[in-house]
Amino acid sequence: VIKLALPGGDIRDQAASLLTSLGLHSEEYADGSRAYRFPLASEEAELRVFREKDIPIQIALGNYDLGICNRVWLDELQARYPQEQVVALRTLGFGAMKVVAAVAPESLRALGPVEDWGEIEGLRIAAEYPNLAEQFALAARFSRYHILPVWGAAGSYPPDDAELAVFADSGTAADRLGLRIIARLASGSACLLANRTSLAQKDLRPLLEPLFTGDQMSSEAGERMLPAFRPTNGTRRTISRQRQPDLRLALPDGHAQRHTYAAFQAAGIEFEGYAEKQAVVRPTSPIPGLQVKVIRPQDMPQQVALGSFDLAVTGRDWLLDHLIAFPSSPVREVADLQRSRYSLCAVVDEAIPGDTLAAALAYWRSHNREVIRIASEYANLADHFARQRHIGRYQIIPVSGASEGFVPEDAEILIEGTETGTSVAANKLKIVDRIFESTNCLIARADPPDGPAGALLRSLVERLQASVAISA
Amino acid sequence: MTAAQDSLRCPGMHDLGPEEMARFRRIEEVFRASCESWGFREIRTPVVEHLHLFTSAGTLSPQMLGRVYSFLDWDGWSGERVVLRPDGTIPAARLYWERYRGEIAKLFYVENLFRFAASGERREVWQCGAELIGESWPAGDLEVIAVVRGVLRRLGFERLTLRLSHTGIIRSILATAGYSPEEQLALYDRLIDGDPSVWPEIAGALPQTGAPLTMLRDLTGGQVHGLANLQSALGPTLPAIVPPIEELRTIASSLELAGCSYELDLTIVRGFEYYTGPVFQVLIDGENVAGGGRYDGLIASQEGHSVPACGFAISIEPLLDRLDNPRPGEEINLIDVSIAGRSPSVLASALGLVTELHEQGYDAELVAQPLFKGRWTIEVSDRDGRAAYRLRDLTAGSSFDAATVNEVTQRIERGARA
Repeated sequence: VIKLALPGGDIRDQAASLLTSLGLHSEEYADGSRAYRFPLASEEAELRVFREKDIPIQIALGNYDLGICNRVWLDELQARYPQEQVVALRTLGFGAMKVVAAVAPESLRALGPVEDWGEIEGLRIAAEYPNLAEQFALAARFSRYHILPVWGAAGSYPPDDAELAVFADSGTAADRLGLRIIARLASGSACLLANRTSLAQKDLRPLLEPLFTGDQMSSEAGERMLPAFRPTNGTRRTISRQRQPDLRLALPDGHAQRHTYAAFQAAGIEFEGYAEKQAVVRPTSPIPGLQVKVIRPQDMPQQVALGSFDLAVTGRDWLLDHLIAFPSSPVREVADLQRSRYSLCAVVDEAIPGDTLAAALAYWRSHNREVIRIASEYANLADHFARQRHIGRYQIIPVSGASEGFVPEDAEILIEGTETGTSVAANKLKIVDRIFESTNCLIARADPPDGPAGALLRSLVERLQASVAISA
Repeated sequence: MTAAQDSLRCPGMHDLGPEEMARFRRIEEVFRASCESWGFREIRTPVVEHLHLFTSAGTLSPQMLGRVYSFLDWDGWSGERVVLRPDGTIPAARLYWERYRGEIAKLFYVENLFRFAASGERREVWQCGAELIGESWPAGDLEVIAVVRGVLRRLGFERLTLRLSHTGIIRSILATAGYSPEEQLALYDRLIDGDPSVWPEIAGALPQTGAPLTMLRDLTGGQVHGLANLQSALGPTLPAIVPPIEELRTIASSLELAGCSYELDLTIVRGFEYYTGPVFQVLIDGENVAGGGRYDGLIASQEGHSVPACGFAISIEPLLDRLDNPRPGEEINLIDVSIAGRSPSVLASALGLVTELHEQGYDAELVAQPLFKGRWTIEVSDRDGRAAYRLRDLTAGSSFDAATVNEVTQRIERGARA
C-alpha cells in the first residue's frame, strides 16, 4: 500500500479538489472529516492528514512514500538538514506563498540601511521558519543575532520585540502589519514530495500516474532575494534597548484565549480587543501604565525570559517545556490561574496489552522494536520524559498538530494533553502514564521590574490570585 | 565486530585504538617538542564556542558555516547559538584578544574540530595547529613554514611538496574588476568552495587585462621567476596585483636561498575567508596534510583592531595512516603481578607490591593471570599466612622465589643492570 501524507489546514480543500479531479477521490478527506487516517476509494493507498509542516519530516523519516505540502516547508527542513531523503517532484498549481524577512520602518530609522546591519550586534529575529531564518542570518553575515523561533504571529514582534520577522506572506500580510519586506527567503506553492528510497524501490505508479497528468510544472525551489549586505570591516554597533516605563503583559490566542479572558474578567479586568473568541494584536488596556500584546502561548516563556514582556499568561506545560530545555532561564510561575486544566499524558495504542508504560515497553521489546518513537508537540518534555523513564533508545518526533493520528503507525508513544480522555479513547488510544497536570498560569521573570511597573505587576498578580481564591 | 555493534558509533566519528593512539601520541610529541623549540607555548581552547565568533565576514565561508554543529545551550533561551569548534585559529585569536592583546604571542594546540560531512567522511578531525600573532610579514610567514617542515621531517616524512600562493592576488583582481565589496566576498567564497566557473566570469569583467587570467593557473608548479613574469604581464593593467606578488616573491626567494624547495599554485585560496596574505599547503604523495598563511584581518573582524598574524595546521589523520606502528615489545615494559587465589591477604600483598614497584619507577599491572607481555612476571601467593613471591625473568628464562617486596625489587634491579 502506498502511503500518502496530505495537508490539513488552509490548502486542504484545494488538495482534495485536485485529488478528486485526478480520480483519487477520498470522501472523508474531501468532506473535512476529523479522522486522521482513511483509505483511498481505490484501496491502493492509505491517506493520513498532517499539519503541512510535519509532512516533509514524515517523508524524510520514511513513514510516508508521497506527500503534498507547500514547497516552503521542504525548504525549511532542508535549510537545516540538506541531506534529508525528500525529493520535490512537481508543483500542483495552488497555494502560492513566500517566506519573507520584514522590518518595521521604526527599526530602519533607528538602525540605518539594512545593508549595513552586519555591523549590528544583538539583532533579534522572530521566526515562524527558524531554519530559513538561521540560513538568512548566516548569509547576511550578521555578527551576533538571536533567532526567536515562534509558533505564530511573528509579524507582530517588530519593532519592539524583534528587529526582523520571518513569516509566510501570500500577498498582503506585511502591508497589513505595517512592515517592509527586505528579503524573500523561500517561495513556492503546493507540491508533490516523495521519499527518495520509495521512489527508487517501490511501485508508486497508481498515484504517480494520475498526479503527473496535466501540465508538467517545475519543482525547483523559488529564488531567494537577499539585500546586498556590505562587509563590515570590523565596525560594530550595539542596539541600545531601554526599558519602557510601562508594564508589558502578553495574552494568549487560540485555545487558551477563552480561559484567559475568563480569568481576567473574574478579576474585573477587560481589555478592548481581547474577547472570548476575537483578539487584536495590541488590545487596549483600561489600566494606565499597562501595555498588552497577543502572542502564542507556546512562545511566552522565552519572551518573558528575554524581558520583552514582564508578565504573561500561558500553560504550565509550555513553561515546563521551556525550563527543561533551558534550566537557567529566569522565567518563573507567579500565580496559578487554575483554568484550562488538563493532564499531560503518555498515550499508546489501545491494542497494546497492559495499562502501564513498563508493560508497553516490554511488549515492544518482545516484538523487536529497537527504537521507540515518541511524538509530541512538547519536544523538550517528551525528551525529558524518555530520559526519566529510562526508555533506552528512542526518537523524538516533534509535531505541530494533528498529533492523535501518529500512534500507532508513526509513533509508539504520544505525549499529549488531555482534559477528559474522550479524544484519546475516540482515537483508539489509552493512557499509560500521567506526567503532570497543567493549568494556565501567570509567568514573570525572577527579577521583576522596579518602580511603578513592579508595583502594577504585583497588584495584577494579587487581583488575579484573589479572584482564583474566590472561585475556589 | 558485528554490523549492529558498528552502528552504535555516530556517523563520521572514529575511535582511536591503542595502536592508533601510540602513533597519535608520537605525532603530538614531535609537534609539541618542535613548537616549544621555536618558542611557541601550548594552549587549549574549549570545544564549545559562541557561533557568532565564526559568522562575521572574514571568518568562515558560507559553505563551511553550513557544516558547523550549532545548537542552543542549556542557557540558550535568548536564541543565541553555540557551536562545536569548527576551526582552531578563530578560538586561538579570541584567546589572544582576551589575554595577550598588544603582545607577540606564539601559541600552539592539539585539538579536535567538528564539521558535518557526507556519510563516510570524517566529521571530527584532529589538528596540530600553531598561531603567531602580533608578528608581521615576512618573518612570521617564513617561521611557520619552517616549523611545519620541521615537524613533518622529524616524523620521517622527507618527500614534502610545499605550495605557495597569496590570497591578495585574487582579492586584488576581484577589486580591480569593479565588483562591490559584497560581490567580491561572494566570488571569493565561490573560489573557496572550488567553483571553477568563477574564472571566466572574472576574466569577462576585466577586458582590459594585458594577459589572460589563466596565467594564474598556468604558473602552477612554477618558481619565483614565474611571479616576476606575472608581474610584468598583469602589473601594468592591474597595479593592485603588484604588492601581493612582491610579498610572495620575497617569501619564495628567501625559501629558495635557504634551500627549501617549493612550487607556486596561485589558485590556492585555502578554505577560509580569514586569510589575507601569503598562504601555503604541504603535500605528501599528493595529499594535503598541512596548510596555513597570514590572516591580518581576523582579529579586526572580531574586535575592530587589526593585528598581524599567521599560523598553520597539520591534519593528524593523514599522518596517522602513514606512520608505522611501534614494533612489538618496543612500548611494553610492564611487569605482570598476578595473584594465586582470592584471599584478602594475597590481594593486599599483590597491591602493596604493585604500588611499591610504581614508587620505584617501574611500570607494573595487577592481573588475574600472568600475561607474559614484558620481561618480568611475578605471582603472589600465600604461604602459611605469609606472602610469597615467585619471579619469572622471561628474557633470561629463569625464575626465583622471594619472601619480601624488598627482595623482589632488588632482584629486578639486578636483572636490569645485568
